[in-house]
Amino acid sequence: MKQIIKIVSSPKIFVYTIIWLMVLVVLGTLAQRDIGLYASQQKYFSANITWLGGIIPVPGGRITMIIMLVNLTFMVLFKQNLWKIKKIGVLIMHIGALLLLIGGGLTAIFSSEGNMVIEEGAQSNRVDDYHDMELTIINTSNEILDKYTVFDQPILGKGNILSHENLNFNIEIISYLRNCEPLKRTAPAGFHYKGMLKNFRLSTLRPEKENNRNRPGITYRITNSGSSSDGIYGLFLGQSVPQTAVINNQNYEFIIRRKRTYLPFAIELLDFKKVMHTGTGIAKSYSSEVNLIENGIPRRVLIEMNEPLRHKGYTFFQSSFIEGPEGEATVLAAVKNYGRSFPYISSIIMSIGLLLHLLKSIPKLLQKNPRVAE
Amino acid sequence: MMKLYLRLFFSIFLLLPSLYGRDFEVRDFPIQDGGRIKPLDTYARNQLLAFYGKRSVKHEKLSAIDWVFDLILNPEKGGEKKVFNIRNPEVTASLRLEWTNEHKYSFNEVILGLKEQLELVSEFYNKPDESRTIFEKQFLEIYFNALRFKEITYSLSCLAPFIEVNDSLLAEKLNTSPGKAVSYAHLVKQFHTLTEMFLTVMNKPEEELSQSDKELNMILLTLQHTSSDDYAQALKLIPPSPLDETGTWLSPWELMDGRPRAPYQDKILNALEKYLSGRALGDENIMNSALTDYEAGISAITIGKPDINILKKETWVNKANLFYISVAFYLSAFIFLGLSWMFHQSKYLQRISAGFLGLGLLYHTYGIYLRMFIMGRPPVSTLYESVIFVGFVTVVCAVIIEYFRRDGLGLFVGALSGAIFHYIGFGYAADGDTLGMLVAVLNSNFWLATHVTTITLGYGVTVVAGFIGHLYLIQMIRNPKNNTLLKSINKNMFGVTLIALFFTLFGTILGGIWADQSWGRFWGWDPKENGALLIVMWHVMMIHMRITGKVKPEGFALGLIMNIIIVMMAWFGVNLLNVGLHSYGFTSGIARNLFLFTALELITGFGTYYWAQSRKGRLVV
Repeated sequence: MKQIIKIVSSPKIFVYTIIWLMVLVVLGTLAQRDIGLYASQQKYFSANITWLGGIIPVPGGRITMIIMLVNLTFMVLFKQNLWKIKKIGVLIMHIGALLLLIGGGLTAIFSSEGNMVIEEGAQSNRVDDYHDMELTIINTSNEILDKYTVFDQPILGKGNILSHENLNFNIEIISYLRNCEPLKRTAPAGFHYKGMLKNFRLSTLRPEKENNRNRPGITYRITNSGSSSDGIYGLFLGQSVPQTAVINNQNYEFIIRRKRTYLPFAIELLDFKKVMHTGTGIAKSYSSEVNLIENGIPRRVLIEMNEPLRHKGYTFFQSSFIEGPEGEATVLAAVKNYGRSFPYISSIIMSIGLLLHLLKSIPKLLQKNPRVAE
Repeated sequence: MMKLYLRLFFSIFLLLPSLYGRDFEVRDFPIQDGGRIKPLDTYARNQLLAFYGKRSVKHEKLSAIDWVFDLILNPEKGGEKKVFNIRNPEVTASLRLEWTNEHKYSFNEVILGLKEQLELVSEFYNKPDESRTIFEKQFLEIYFNALRFKEITYSLSCLAPFIEVNDSLLAEKLNTSPGKAVSYAHLVKQFHTLTEMFLTVMNKPEEELSQSDKELNMILLTLQHTSSDDYAQALKLIPPSPLDETGTWLSPWELMDGRPRAPYQDKILNALEKYLSGRALGDENIMNSALTDYEAGISAITIGKPDINILKKETWVNKANLFYISVAFYLSAFIFLGLSWMFHQSKYLQRISAGFLGLGLLYHTYGIYLRMFIMGRPPVSTLYESVIFVGFVTVVCAVIIEYFRRDGLGLFVGALSGAIFHYIGFGYAADGDTLGMLVAVLNSNFWLATHVTTITLGYGVTVVAGFIGHLYLIQMIRNPKNNTLLKSINKNMFGVTLIALFFTLFGTILGGIWADQSWGRFWGWDPKENGALLIVMWHVMMIHMRITGKVKPEGFALGLIMNIIIVMMAWFGVNLLNVGLHSYGFTSGIARNLFLFTALELITGFGTYYWAQSRKGRLVV
């Protein structure tokens, strides 16, 4: 047991993992030039396994950092000579680092970020995710009530068969395209293609560097509907004509869209302001004056650059804006982050630790040249 | 040699009186440009820099401000001045210019070629920027420079005394004396006195026109001709009316459209007109009285009045070139340190060297302070400022080290790194205005002061650690037997590394917190963040390797040297990737320098490392 602890908490492991992490950081940074920030983050930093050149499996950023975390935890818990007053600075510093890693992990697992677009005078309680899509099937047969069935992106993988009690058919995913464009067919489509795919085909495009410029698409097959509606359908993001199908006298609409989250409160945009440095095209500041409406009671808030609105675990940042002929719309970034306070706490702890250690050892380290001292 | 130093040394005392309690000058005229109010001197220098590549017309020994006024008062002669610097033979060929060794061409030459190539201009202009070739970019740049040159030339033509009134009758009516030249603005103001005369002239047949009538016709033609200059609105010298909420300053031509003027606007326009007429006549008295009027006009501004003292300081900074003085001192410190080594560690020479380093630091600090004072923001907010500030940090560290050691180690580090960073800074200053405004996301003094300053401090200390690493290896080669000396440098090396770790780590985390505050995420694996993280991880790795005994002191020194490369990559290199939220400080031509620097550091680092090891090995044998 002691042997195992000694090995697991060995600083050698730390040195190797940090070297490997540096390699990953360099590769991941360079890769951003070609594949963009989001894809490189997925490939190098959020992945357990990174495939170098697509063929060689190496430990990814996540697993490397987990190893680091385990190593550090064991070191802090079991290294006896660390728990001494002489080494208090070093100990505090390592505890701070530990908290930082834990916070990073929490953020990586639980946080979500999205966009909220609100026109001046309008209000919204909907957040569109930056990255994740959802397949939404709406039963529009009932005049009073539409029935929504939503499938999240993770289950939209190739070959998956989706079914739900709301739906009297099955959906088999044929392909999920990260970026695509609809192209008009030159030759007539086969008889099993239905809807949009009768006239168009979805052509795969190289993913854009900026993930939110991608237009994801999906092709799927409807089976077991017991009607002539069985066949292959396609959808893409931002499709202007909705895909509909009548199955067993029920009307369905199919949409692929950014994953939506509905907030327990709404935000109304009163005024969006853009201030330029006078006489130039350089923006000095952007701000949105909003009403935060909860339980029907509005509260006035000003969201500015570097001055977000925080409410119920969500934080809203001034992210962008849209100028249209009918007026302005603000784009707020909405972030839900659970590990938020960890970096704050750990940075304070680490700095205190490092300072203590520095104060203790600097006089010794900034020693006079012995030759001159004599 | 000595004379040069004396001149340098006394320059500041000669300049100081001109900073405090000097009169308001034409250089200090406030102008709105690039989002702030700056002295006309800064504006003129930046324009000249864009056309000519330098901040004064070197081959004519003409200052930027004089160049601007010469151009305005004598457009023909100004157009002949060779102030367009074109160094691309493709561009000169397409403009049908003769390729000369001076690479200098006049506006008149350039505009001839451009007029023939307008189709080409519009073709290049409609291309997206990233698909333009270097030739196309430079061609467009010349085109826009020429446009701006023309705009500046005529921007005060409504106030300059360009119209001579010779007829005594007309002169009397127009409130001037015969033979004197007056301005467009003056004539327009007085013109109502001539309405009657003008109406009769209109109806008279040609042969009945008197001398006065003919001259009136001429004047009318000239006025009409001059009024077509009203596009020239480059010089935003006139403060807005108190009713204007945007705070946008105006050019004199904009006020010629008959809009109501605030009293101070009138005062400034009149003073400017007076100054131009005085300058055209070469009459100092008129010019001085015009300057007094101008200052009074500025003081009368009701809203958003510029601080004349700050304007004066800025013109002083422009002229003083404090960083040129400090770099001269750093170089001298280095020379004297070298001499002291030649003459058996002469204490005397070393003290002189320390004195120079101190003087250099003094000028350096004062320069940074003045920039902060002028812009009202923390020391580092642009790439240029980060270079100057890192230089400052390294010298301060070096001075502290020298204070403790007194053996020239600090002098070596300080003089060398101070000088090197100044030269990098000069490279950036040649790109354009170094006192620019900031985009929205950076516009936060609190975070600029905390995160940016801390991380740049970290860069600086890391560089110092690297320099000590160099020195350790050099000492190992020079006297491998001197164990006490090596041991003490080794200890310093470790201490400085810990300090560097503190600043880089703390600065990086502060950056994360800023990102969390403004973008909603603490960490996004953006290149700039990764760069900072790499520096921190490298420090952490080196420290752990040293503690676990995986590296010997010489290996540690080599690691510190390698960290300088990482700093340079994180600092300048990531801007070349041009991705992510941080890529605001892009500069061209840096890739090559970065490559050269990296190669140099690798060769010297590893070279001295193996050499030092072989010396040590021989010692053991």
